[in-house]
Amino acid sequence: MRRAATLAICILGLAAARAGHDDVRVDPALKRYAGQITALGAPDAQGRIYSFRAKRLPEAPGGYVPGELRGWRLTLLAGKRFANAFEVRGNSATEIMVSERDGPLNGVAVSDVFVVEEIAVER
Amino acid sequence: MRDDLRKLAVALALLIAPGAGAQQARTPAETVDAFHAALRNRDTAGALSLLDRGLVVYEFGAVDATAEAYALRHLPFDMDLAVAARWTLESRRAGGEGNERWVLSTYRVTGKQSDGTPIDQTTLETVILRRVGGQFRIAHFHWSTSDAAFQARTQRERKP
Repeated sequence: MRRAATLAICILGLAAARAGHDDVRVDPALKRYAGQITALGAPDAQGRIYSFRAKRLPEAPGGYVPGELRGWRLTLLAGKRFANAFEVRGNSATEIMVSERDGPLNGVAVSDVFVVEEIAVER
Repeated sequence: MRDDLRKLAVALALLIAPGAGAQQARTPAETVDAFHAALRNRDTAGALSLLDRGLVVYEFGAVDATAEAYALRHLPFDMDLAVAARWTLESRRAGGEGNERWVLSTYRVTGKQSDGTPIDQTTLETVILRRVGGQFRIAHFHWSTSDAAFQARTQRERKP
């Protein structure tokens, strides 16, 4: 409950988050979108999950551009998979699928937040 | 039996997944340097893996009360600055004992903003680290600057 409330405060404050180091105006190091998981994808026959439904943060009409995130790096910013990174295999406006190369997403949960960045997963 | 095997396979996959578990032992100062290096290298997972989950960040008057809040709200901008500016370590002191340590650093931060105006300030950094499972992780950052005008401006402009 406390975690959910904390995340809600983070998300509400996301648009107005510029302060501190970020008050210095520099070019973004890479293109990125934050997001929040809204539903987990169906597991495969072995119980492994490789997709989830998501919304953009801050919320954006239309969600993600289909196909744009292919090859990008997805990093979990909360929950049991905090700090784990995955390669995006593909996406629709509201669904993100990850590659099997980085293992399954098992452990992620609805409401977990993440960032997708236009950079390859380092291997 | 089949369910048990499936659970075991998933558990093994989680164990070998990249991220928080895949780190070498570092001193507290090395941990701080590794965090800055990860930001500079655009390595979000690498930077996050050096943070204690109980992290609290004080940054120029703003507060991130959790690691998740910092990761979502401010880490991206800190990465942008780490890439755009040069951080030169000017002084460092370290102390503490056992599983609780501190590292105090000052950096000369130089570079250019998007509009070409120069960045040239001294950033003061206090880091408290906690050792869990043989690894030091960062439990607290406090950043401020010796540039009084910048400090006043950021605090005036910051949102609650």
